[in-house]
Amino acid sequence: MKFKTLLLSSMILASTAAAAEPTHRLFATNEKDNTVSVIDSRTNKVETTIDIGQRPRGIGLSPDQTMLYVAISEDNAIAVVDVNTLEVVKTLDAGDDPETFGVNPVTGHIVISNEDDGEATFLDPKSGEKLAVVQVGIEPEGVAVSPTGKYALVTSESSNMVHIIETTNYEAVAHLVVGARPRGLAFNSDGSLAYATSEIGNEVAIIDMETLKITKKAAIDVEGSKPMDIKVSPDDKMLYITTGRGNSVAFLDAETLDLKGNVPVGKRVWGLDISKDGSRLYTSDGVDGTVSVVDTAKQERIETIKVGAFPWGVALDD
Amino acid sequence: MNHVTKYGIFLAFVWPQLSMANKIDVTMHYVGPTEGQVWLGVQQGIKEANLQGGFLGQKYQIEVVEPDALESTKVETALLLAEDDDYIMKVAQSEQFATTPVINLISRTDELREACLPNLFHITPSNEMRADALAQWQEKNPDQPAEVMSWHEDFVKFAASQLNNRFEKNQGEAMTDEAWAGWAGTKMIADSVVQTMQYDAKFMLNHLKKDLVFDGQKGDNANFRENGQLRQILLLVDNDNKIVAEAPLRGFKGGLDSLGKVSCK
Repeated sequence: MKFKTLLLSSMILASTAAAAEPTHRLFATNEKDNTVSVIDSRTNKVETTIDIGQRPRGIGLSPDQTMLYVAISEDNAIAVVDVNTLEVVKTLDAGDDPETFGVNPVTGHIVISNEDDGEATFLDPKSGEKLAVVQVGIEPEGVAVSPTGKYALVTSESSNMVHIIETTNYEAVAHLVVGARPRGLAFNSDGSLAYATSEIGNEVAIIDMETLKITKKAAIDVEGSKPMDIKVSPDDKMLYITTGRGNSVAFLDAETLDLKGNVPVGKRVWGLDISKDGSRLYTSDGVDGTVSVVDTAKQERIETIKVGAFPWGVALDD
Repeated sequence: MNHVTKYGIFLAFVWPQLSMANKIDVTMHYVGPTEGQVWLGVQQGIKEANLQGGFLGQKYQIEVVEPDALESTKVETALLLAEDDDYIMKVAQSEQFATTPVINLISRTDELREACLPNLFHITPSNEMRADALAQWQEKNPDQPAEVMSWHEDFVKFAASQLNNRFEKNQGEAMTDEAWAGWAGTKMIADSVVQTMQYDAKFMLNHLKKDLVFDGQKGDNANFRENGQLRQILLLVDNDNKIVAEAPLRGFKGGLDSLGKVSCK
């Protein structure tokens, strides 16, 4: 079973990205400083800080990992940064108030949540062309694109839904009701399952991507928990969820949704990324102004890195 | 897009509860002014309910009832009131609405909470909650006068700015306490229908009392106390109309329940 999963995930990786030599840089958006902190993940030291634009929030890499994308919300744009030279190569018109985005691992297209307009914008970063604008619910937030590139998922926070959009024709094929104020989304390695967190509902839901149904929901039993970002371990067995004002990362069994651990990090933790080997988690701790490094095997924070004001999201090039 | 194909995809793949949802057509009944802030709040709530419900094939509307005509009105889901205290008490105590959620949007009167009627809910914070919030503020800041509000147009945190923005865009004025209460009472019912796919008054009454999880865009989950009062944070605003703190203030025990009475004794 494990080999099968590994084989599948490596096939997907091979088919989607001829990965460049990684820089091992960890990037964090500092929402209130208008900057991106660049950290060397091998030493956990801040290498430099880039001026990026107004109110940087969502952050992610191109499938070939040569470019870093940053949503600069108040500039209504996505900034494109060369991960090697750290130069802002260009900025793309992203529609009104882009909060965050997902990157299609097959086509490279960027799917953006436009918070104030209740829309999702599909963008080709190469040409800068807007491919489609799809109406979603109020306050769209989290976006994830399936590993096969077939589906884009968008949460709408104030409409309590996960919208499932087919990327070939930009048609919404399902609108699934989840707990109050849905935020983060993640897929397992072959894209057969998706997971959605709900901040006010304090729960996580499992979505079966064959049937497009919710198959299970569970509360997160951590004091003060307001679940935000979510990642899945490379073996698909564990979910990692930042708990916002719960100030921790919750570890949940991906199948039973039982709580398997809870690692305290910094205050108001939002963003989350995971190393490819699954050994490290990186969180952005908004109120503390830090990035925390968590050892997943030991279930403990092993490093706290000071960054800018109110870090929002993190992305690792490994 | 071919409508038939779209509908077919929807029916084939979306779980059965959602295809049932196509039949949901919800009417909320309202007695109160049809101009001013509370009404604009109700309008905004219905607009958002339809945007949300539209994805599921649901429709929402508000039926305005004259105070004297309520006796001959059948309320299917919930009754929203922006009326005086005597009227609220009379309606909530009547046999006719014994198993209907009666939602007091804007009266702050403590006696309405102390009555602890099983079908009566209060959206706006009571006078007592407001007084407790002010006392917490004064204990920490004895020399700085402040006013207590449940909402403010400059409130930004917890996605409050998003609600402020869309209210002003749609209704043409800034959102106040009363507008927030109108919005919250309406949106709460719509969210409950979306979550449960039920809209019968008796079901709704039980749901509001026991299972409500509502995002009032003020941070924590807003649900009801035993006495029917909605749990929520309050804002302290100084003489320059600037938000200076949120209550409960740091250092006070009991969280949201440090403001006002909680139980029916």
